[in-house]
Amino acid sequence: MNNSSGSNHDCISNSNSNSTSSRVNSNSAGRCAADRRDLGSHFLALARLGSARPPGPADEGEESPTELNTINSSGGFLVVSTDKLSVKYTNVDLHGHDVGVVQANRPAPVRRLAYYFEIEVKHAGAKGHIGIGFTSENFKMRRQPGWEPNSCGYHGDDGLLYRGHGKGEAFGPTYTARDKVGAGINYATQEFFFTKNKAIVGTVYKDVKGPLFPTISVHSQNEEIVVNFGQEPFAFDIKAYEAQERLRQQATIEKISLPPNISYGIVRSYLLHYGYEDTLRSFDMASKSTIPPISLDQENGFEEQEILYALNQRKILRQLIRNGEIDAAFSKLRDCYPQVVQDEKSATCFLLHCQKFIELVRVGALEEAIKYGRVELSRFFVMADFEDLVQDCVSLLAFEHPKESFAGYLLEESQREVVADTVNAMILATNPNAKEFQGCLHSYLERLLRQLTACCLERRSLNGDQGEAFHLHRVLNNSNATR
Amino acid sequence: MAQVTFLVKLIMRGSSKKVITKEDWEKRLNDVKIRKEDMNKLVMNFLVTEGFVDAAEKFRKESGTEPDIDLSTITDRMAVKKAVQCGNVEDAIEKVNDLNPEILDTNPQLFFHLQQQRLIELIRNGKVEEALEFAQEELAPRGEENQSFLEELERTVALLAFEDVSNCPVGDLLDMSQRLKTASEVNAAILTSQSHEKDPKLPSLLKMLVWAQNQLDEKAIYPRIKDLSTAKLEDPSAS
Repeated sequence: MNNSSGSNHDCISNSNSNSTSSRVNSNSAGRCAADRRDLGSHFLALARLGSARPPGPADEGEESPTELNTINSSGGFLVVSTDKLSVKYTNVDLHGHDVGVVQANRPAPVRRLAYYFEIEVKHAGAKGHIGIGFTSENFKMRRQPGWEPNSCGYHGDDGLLYRGHGKGEAFGPTYTARDKVGAGINYATQEFFFTKNKAIVGTVYKDVKGPLFPTISVHSQNEEIVVNFGQEPFAFDIKAYEAQERLRQQATIEKISLPPNISYGIVRSYLLHYGYEDTLRSFDMASKSTIPPISLDQENGFEEQEILYALNQRKILRQLIRNGEIDAAFSKLRDCYPQVVQDEKSATCFLLHCQKFIELVRVGALEEAIKYGRVELSRFFVMADFEDLVQDCVSLLAFEHPKESFAGYLLEESQREVVADTVNAMILATNPNAKEFQGCLHSYLERLLRQLTACCLERRSLNGDQGEAFHLHRVLNNSNATR
Repeated sequence: MAQVTFLVKLIMRGSSKKVITKEDWEKRLNDVKIRKEDMNKLVMNFLVTEGFVDAAEKFRKESGTEPDIDLSTITDRMAVKKAVQCGNVEDAIEKVNDLNPEILDTNPQLFFHLQQQRLIELIRNGKVEEALEFAQEELAPRGEENQSFLEELERTVALLAFEDVSNCPVGDLLDMSQRLKTASEVNAAILTSQSHEKDPKLPSLLKMLVWAQNQLDEKAIYPRIKDLSTAKLEDPSAS
């Protein structure tokens, strides 16, 4: 078994005749077909991506605490209000094991930069023995947060921080009636932080692993607190805190130095890869006249031979598809690259036929669209790979305003772009000198961004799933991110 | 076979890091879906911020990507930048004020650096008397307000004390790099005044990649991309 050649073989097998490649070529016919399927399915996946909503600032499906857990609270010592958002100590405290403590209904979500919640002290009661913090799932529900292992709490009566035992450490001011006090976890720095009346009190290293529940406590007669899990605006500006934290990370990252002109090279190779020829010409012209001129010589390591292939043809085909002239694109392909459209059941042909159908719908030629669909699309209905996309296409006919329907994504510009990208990749793959199949599929830029995303995800998963993931979409749409 | 020797090597090293083979890693990479329109936006952002106005216009047509700034403002910004790069500082100042007089009003440091560059150009052109007059009238009052301005001014005026400036300790002020520094400062100030970020996002993302790989190195052995310009995955078992 030789795994290393898996992604590194020739796609066009007749171009080489030396001994190493003939070994690879012995099974390259099978591989080649498999690769072409991969390529097709890659673009089908991209076409489907259009129907999915882009990732927003959502918290990746993790649910946040919304209310207090009345089942697992120290019943008898406290009363939780009917809205499950406030507690009152109704007993008389006698010792250290009759604390009125209550956790949130869910642990703090972890797949984010920070989690935060707040309390407001309504009545300080007899002694003001109020606490706020985080505890693990099996916390002893008659003790203050911080007094027991795997917990951390900031206490109102003494302003001390308790971490796992009954002896507190100097931390911040005391707090009492009318104070708003918050507790948070910063997953990037692995720290707990506490606030009082809009200001940070202090931070401490988070030495507790596993899920952590927001926890509040009362421990003397008539103490009453209200908890805010974000249903009301916080007193503390958590958004500003997060922004500051991102800036801090960004500052560390900005100190890293890059090879000279690397960004120019990557942009240039992107333009070449996708056949944006006019842009490339302007870009090159301008690069020459900048002061000092930008030169990308061979020593920079850019290998452009492969993506120079058929640049002008690729540009023309992209233009045709972007203009919705699918027939013209088909005939040009038949003339110049018949192998790309040879297999009528391939993903490439499928996407082109779909696009032709979509263009007919776009201009309102519905009868013609139906005719075309019967001739060219019906055969794809029975093929599992294509079924869902065909159905989406056909359903465009059912709506008076197809653009507003669930299949409206098909009428977007981005759908044309996907088809153009598919054809572009298929033409690159006809290059007899193509060394690597990946090269036809992904631009350098895309490969780097995929590596970045994968590294961030892997790092987070090795870190107990804590912290923010990297989403290009979010970076691009958050214009203050790098300021 | 390569995999086995690789694992043996790891055991010998006593490494506790997670090992991810090239095959597994490639699967993960394939699960990452990058939107084409996002990459297009990233490229457009680079063209716009770096001032490739013609290329940005062509790219808008070829890819359908809308720029995040009015393209006509790029031309003006690039004209200012070029004027500084060519040593026409007076012209540059005038152009900035035409664009938006607030830029220099609210940026005393930038204004000082532009005036300093003007002084440098006068000295470069051997206009000693004019340079002295300019320093006294325009720059000295600002030096009185601000200690760091004063130090900069002294450094610049020191150029006049040397016959052979190419060999003097403050000779770097006459370098091209000084013009480029000033030019990029003006460029950034104009972008900020247009509520646009002063730096393109692409270099930051590349740095983030280097950083993310370094971070992951502490916990895992996996195929890295060592050379950004080839974007090639290194096989961890090959090392």
